[in-house]
Amino acid sequence: MTIYTRGGFALPGTSVEFKTGSWRLQRPLHWHRDAPCHTACPAGEDAQAYLARFAEGRLQEAWETIAGANPLPAITGRVCDHPCESGCNRGMYDDPIAIHNVERFLGDMALSEGWAYPVTAPARGAVRVAVVGAGPGGLSAAYHLFRRGYRVTLLDALPEAGGTLRTALPAYRLPRDILEREIERLLAIGITFLPQHMLGRDVSLEELRADHEAVFLAPGRQQSREWSVQGSVPRDLHTGIEVLQDWISMGSVPQVSSAAIVGGGNTAVDLARILRRAGAEAHVITHNALPGPDAQPDDMMAALPREVAQAMEEGVVFHEHRGIRRLILRGEKVVGVEMVRMKKLRRPDGTLDRVGFEGTETVLHVDQVIPAIGQDVAPDGMEGPLGRKPFFETDAWGRVAGHDGIFAGGDARFHSRGTVSGAVGDGRRAAEAIDRLLRGLALPEEGTAEAIAFEKINLHYYEHAPRAREPVLPVEQRTGCQEIERGLNSEQVAAEAARCFSCGTCFACDNCWTLCPDEAVLKTKELASDGSHYVFDYDYCKGCGLCVHECPCGFIAMEDEI
Amino acid sequence: MSTVSETTIPIAELRRSQLRFRGLEAGHRACQGCGQALAARLVTEAAGPDVMIANATGCLEIFTTPWPQSAWRLPWMHSLFENTGALASGMEAALKAQGKSTKVLAFGGDGGTFDIGFQALSGMLERGHNVLYVCYDNEAYMNTGIQRSSSTPHAAVTTTSPSGKARMGKRHLKKDIISIIAAHHIPYAATASAAYPSDIRKKVRRALAIEGPTFLLIHSPCPLGWGHDGSQTVEVARLAVQCGLFPLIELERGELTSVMPLRSARPVKDYLKPQQRFRHLFQDDTRAAQELEHLQALADHNIEVYGLRGTNADPLDSDGADTVRRGGMRWA
Repeated sequence: MTIYTRGGFALPGTSVEFKTGSWRLQRPLHWHRDAPCHTACPAGEDAQAYLARFAEGRLQEAWETIAGANPLPAITGRVCDHPCESGCNRGMYDDPIAIHNVERFLGDMALSEGWAYPVTAPARGAVRVAVVGAGPGGLSAAYHLFRRGYRVTLLDALPEAGGTLRTALPAYRLPRDILEREIERLLAIGITFLPQHMLGRDVSLEELRADHEAVFLAPGRQQSREWSVQGSVPRDLHTGIEVLQDWISMGSVPQVSSAAIVGGGNTAVDLARILRRAGAEAHVITHNALPGPDAQPDDMMAALPREVAQAMEEGVVFHEHRGIRRLILRGEKVVGVEMVRMKKLRRPDGTLDRVGFEGTETVLHVDQVIPAIGQDVAPDGMEGPLGRKPFFETDAWGRVAGHDGIFAGGDARFHSRGTVSGAVGDGRRAAEAIDRLLRGLALPEEGTAEAIAFEKINLHYYEHAPRAREPVLPVEQRTGCQEIERGLNSEQVAAEAARCFSCGTCFACDNCWTLCPDEAVLKTKELASDGSHYVFDYDYCKGCGLCVHECPCGFIAMEDEI
Repeated sequence: MSTVSETTIPIAELRRSQLRFRGLEAGHRACQGCGQALAARLVTEAAGPDVMIANATGCLEIFTTPWPQSAWRLPWMHSLFENTGALASGMEAALKAQGKSTKVLAFGGDGGTFDIGFQALSGMLERGHNVLYVCYDNEAYMNTGIQRSSSTPHAAVTTTSPSGKARMGKRHLKKDIISIIAAHHIPYAATASAAYPSDIRKKVRRALAIEGPTFLLIHSPCPLGWGHDGSQTVEVARLAVQCGLFPLIELERGELTSVMPLRSARPVKDYLKPQQRFRHLFQDDTRAAQELEHLQALADHNIEVYGLRGTNADPLDSDGADTVRRGGMRWA
């Protein structure tokens, strides 16, 4: 041992010989947790991840991150109801990130730049899987199966792919060229597409099963529900979806001066809007409440709130909490409807019952009534797996009980969300389930991924910044098919990406490295194996937990060591 | 819940290759979450390698130099409680005589600065030595067992200012040291906080660029003496600034030249509540309620006389106080 004399000196930095890590009872560790935008996305997109890539300027990687879950971002960026933004933690601070605008921007950029889907062609002689229905659910399933190395046959009864996207979404919400280009690109990766192939007419389910190891059914809902008011039906009845499909495909609308549309979904709202465009007076009659802060979630009409708001701007009249009690007929011709105030009230057993209130009847003078109360699955060729129900009964993976190798998803599934992103998610999950079935693997346990809570975010480290406002087409110009929402420019989108809290994922802000009193956080130039740029030096970390508290995004947690 | 695996990079190699100057090395014996260790680390990082340190007796001296080891990677000399100013003056004069430009830093706690070493410090300032004196203010004699100092805030409990029938903690007020220092008409005197690293760096660099005596008072929470969890050190320091009790200001030749504005002033209760030394103020007692109001009035007074309320919509942010950015970019 060195003998130190009086007047001696210590050598610099020799304290490293003393390992203060032995004082510790708890240790910090990096702990990735899911952001709420990720857990909220029905399609399974991790918005936090692609916002991060975007903020780093790696735009193509950002798009590939989306494309890992959803092959149709240019479409969903426009038409999705974006539950990611409702879940966004930033919404509790100022405004949620405009995630759908970032998705849309990246989707459009992939179209204009021709970025290739992150796929490789399946091997010659790879297993075949059939997908019925080329709507968002079927396209998603076909894509995810292809990515997993399967040869995919995609059938659709119509001459072109797209399903609901093509037949029921007006061009002012989803421009045709975006739809065409994104679907065309997707099919071009090597999916065998058979248009005008109708199940039950051109091919049977049994024939498909014979040629393919598994079948995914995503036929959508094509059959309008029966509608009458106390048994009476107007002679010139059109259903909402028929009128909408005729307008979208041929540009024709019934010649009416005023119409009452029954229903509260997107079909009802879109129909009202196209009737307005044709110069008619449009009334939407719904049992439910208009979307708004006071509306109960289980009482809200199904249409997207922003679509309802735009429809109101365009002069559509909404009658909330109303039902039709009687059609006022002259001969067989409708001249008006008798409405009554209605509300959903809870029965003693907790279920909801619609109650009409006597004495609240009013008459609405209209010359057409159009029901838009939803559709059921057309059973053609799928009678077996449907089992007499108007929808497919499946588990979360799309498996149809008692029918091995048959999967179903999209709108045709019971408990479907009825949205494009929901269908995309169904397709992705079913593709994973099919892959695991064919490889003889068990399905992963249902993840109960809980998103990182707002309380875990240290707000001291974020500036307030307003959300970019998307320009919209002025009401007086909304006469045709021109897209209403105009998207954000690249600067605005970059600013939105920079506003992201990065909930639960390190964004290399240096806080832990800057604030550790014990020099126990080390920074790495290259990525550490846990995906961050920081390493805890447990030889010296005293376990104070300061880094946990000061991590802005909740990426660090304490763990008991004893 | 998924934990991520540890890195495979050899840790000793990583420590050697850190891309920032380290004045204070790991292995020092400060308590968990020590605000002073954090502040001293930040000051020496910003000062860089071409400095020498004169260090008064106190926690910092004790925990960094357990013989025969030292946590310093800079020339460092220990002095008594009362003579750091004199020691630093001598070091500076000797360097000057040798024609060297190495800057001298003097470090002391609030005891060694406000009380015991004040005369030597005053002399150093008066003689105009080219020294940056940094006072790590943890508001009591923590090293000797939490006795009150003239820096201890009003109503705080220490072992020598207990709360009981006669008093609710310390009877007297915290000494306004920064005004006294500024009254020496020195070129630069400022306050900073362990919660605002960028601000500390800016002020250290600004002081070191000045020829002549400069002074920096850094609010440094003491988890042991203040009675809060070590993980809350930065939070508590930040609340002291945000409630107005510890304003971050700069004074040049005695004149106020800049302040860090507050985003929105927090009530002093938010700052006091997490600290055991103020626990007695939250009991059901009219004297306690009165003392709380007194402390709030002191904070409001600071906000008014220093003009801490910014004029912009987001005054704190426009000054870039502590926003974090992807990739670690900070404003200082």
